[in-house]
Amino acid sequence: MLKTLGRKWREKMEFGIFTLPVLICIAVAFYIPFAMTIQYSMTKWNGIAKNPVFVGLDNFKQIFMSDTNFADSAWFTIKYAVLYIILVNVLAILLAVVLDMKLRTTSWLRAAFFVPYILSLVIVGFIWKFIFMQGFSSLSASTGWAIFDLSWLGTPELAFISILAVSIWQSIGFYLVIYIAGLQSVPEDLKEAATVDGAGPFRKFFSITLPLLAPSITISVFMALTNSIKVFDVILSLTGGGPGGTTYSVAYDIYRDTFQNNLYGYGTAKALILFLAVLVVTIIQLSIFKRREVEA
Amino acid sequence: MKTQSKTSRIIIEVVMVILSLLFLYPLFLTIINSFKSFGEVMTDVIALPKQLVFSNYSYVWQFINYPKLFMNNMVITTVGLLGIVFVSSIAAYKLARTKSKLSGILYFLCIMPMLIPFQSIMLTVLQIAKSLGLSESTWGLGILYWGFGAPLAVFIYHGFVKGIPLEIDESATIDGASGFRLFFSVIFPLLKSVTTTIVIIDVMWIWNDFLLPLLMVNGSPDTKTLTLAAYTFVGQYTSDWQYAMTAMVMAVLPSIVVFIFLQKYIVKGVVAGAVKG
Repeated sequence: MLKTLGRKWREKMEFGIFTLPVLICIAVAFYIPFAMTIQYSMTKWNGIAKNPVFVGLDNFKQIFMSDTNFADSAWFTIKYAVLYIILVNVLAILLAVVLDMKLRTTSWLRAAFFVPYILSLVIVGFIWKFIFMQGFSSLSASTGWAIFDLSWLGTPELAFISILAVSIWQSIGFYLVIYIAGLQSVPEDLKEAATVDGAGPFRKFFSITLPLLAPSITISVFMALTNSIKVFDVILSLTGGGPGGTTYSVAYDIYRDTFQNNLYGYGTAKALILFLAVLVVTIIQLSIFKRREVEA
Repeated sequence: MKTQSKTSRIIIEVVMVILSLLFLYPLFLTIINSFKSFGEVMTDVIALPKQLVFSNYSYVWQFINYPKLFMNNMVITTVGLLGIVFVSSIAAYKLARTKSKLSGILYFLCIMPMLIPFQSIMLTVLQIAKSLGLSESTWGLGILYWGFGAPLAVFIYHGFVKGIPLEIDESATIDGASGFRLFFSVIFPLLKSVTTTIVIIDVMWIWNDFLLPLLMVNGSPDTKTLTLAAYTFVGQYTSDWQYAMTAMVMAVLPSIVVFIFLQKYIVKGVVAGAVKG
């Protein structure tokens, strides 16, 4: 009796010793800051005054009723996220299908497409800024193509496309790797059976490969979604929000309010809205995609 | 019929090689322009350098104090990694092995933060780091990554531990091992492949991270990272593109070298991390 009691005690102790460190770390990194964020979001504070002033839900009212910066950056982020998710996944699937063939240079090609992913997004932004600003004029001089003469960072529409293209360039290798892994788990005999039944390459792709790729698609879309809603680094170094403030994302807008305009309480309220948006959208996405996976 | 598919395969191969070279062309331009003089960068970006100018490198090396920053990056990344692997592996192991309501709740609390965008909490994280004295040193910055890296690591470890037969724990317990002994001499070695995955994902992330170091460092050269230095450097010298490109190459070079050596594991690691994650 005493012995079993002792063992139970020891097990509980051990459970505590093993799990407590991580719980403390995560609490310090996420839960405590998050609780404080909720608190700050209902205050007016410039970061200098001793005590934040409690204003209730005023910040939220102001954000939704009259903040055009927030509306603009939200619209930018939505447009960016939708296009990014679609394009990066479609392109990665197409590339993965080609690189899943038995080519001689396959491993070299995979590495080549992956390389930009190991660079930091801030640096990627600067590299492309240099190419858009300096490199394109040289390319235009030597090729004479008008496409290089456009102001890729200087007009709102083109700056948007530039940011999108650069982010896709940086990250496509990551999605490519996930899809190649997914393709390798598609059983060969299924494809062969379809060929025997007279299916062409397109039919085979849409009726066999794509449905069996569903788990990879779920994960890739999830990753693309969470990353694109938070887009920040690449914009900071590529356009700095310009031209004329047309390329601010929500994350950038929060950063600007909090650290450049010293609107601590107000910026925090926006941050909370961003969190809720991420939460709702990812839950919807995961449940829709998981359901389709089961059907496939 | 056979020969036709062979030629089409060669055509695809050639197209893909050209495509990948175009894809890497921006990086090629970055490298060649880091070896040019100011005048050459301004007049012709795509031409090869007439002669290699190494002084860009010595200039940037000294200006940003490269060895110091490199060491900072090493300390932050190492401290961060060791902590993430340690706290996450022991916790994920215990959580996966204990079947209780509490264990389930704690596991959920561990992985939930994956959905919290860093921008939502960055201001308050900064305040907490300051009050804990973590914002002034490379060690402190490394320690901060423990909590930020833990949710994904716990998630990946947890999934993996479930696949390890319980009999292994039992036989080790019968042999007299308990607690930490059992974990470190029996379980942890079995987690090697998944630890590699976590190490790779986290090295790329911590080494290149921007926003957290930006917020924590606040201008102090003692805790600056390579990415941050490249960022501020370019901010000051926007027109001296030859130096900017040199700084880019120098900030990026360590990760490229690591990538070349660990390429096989990196691709595998991403797959394991992503597909399980």
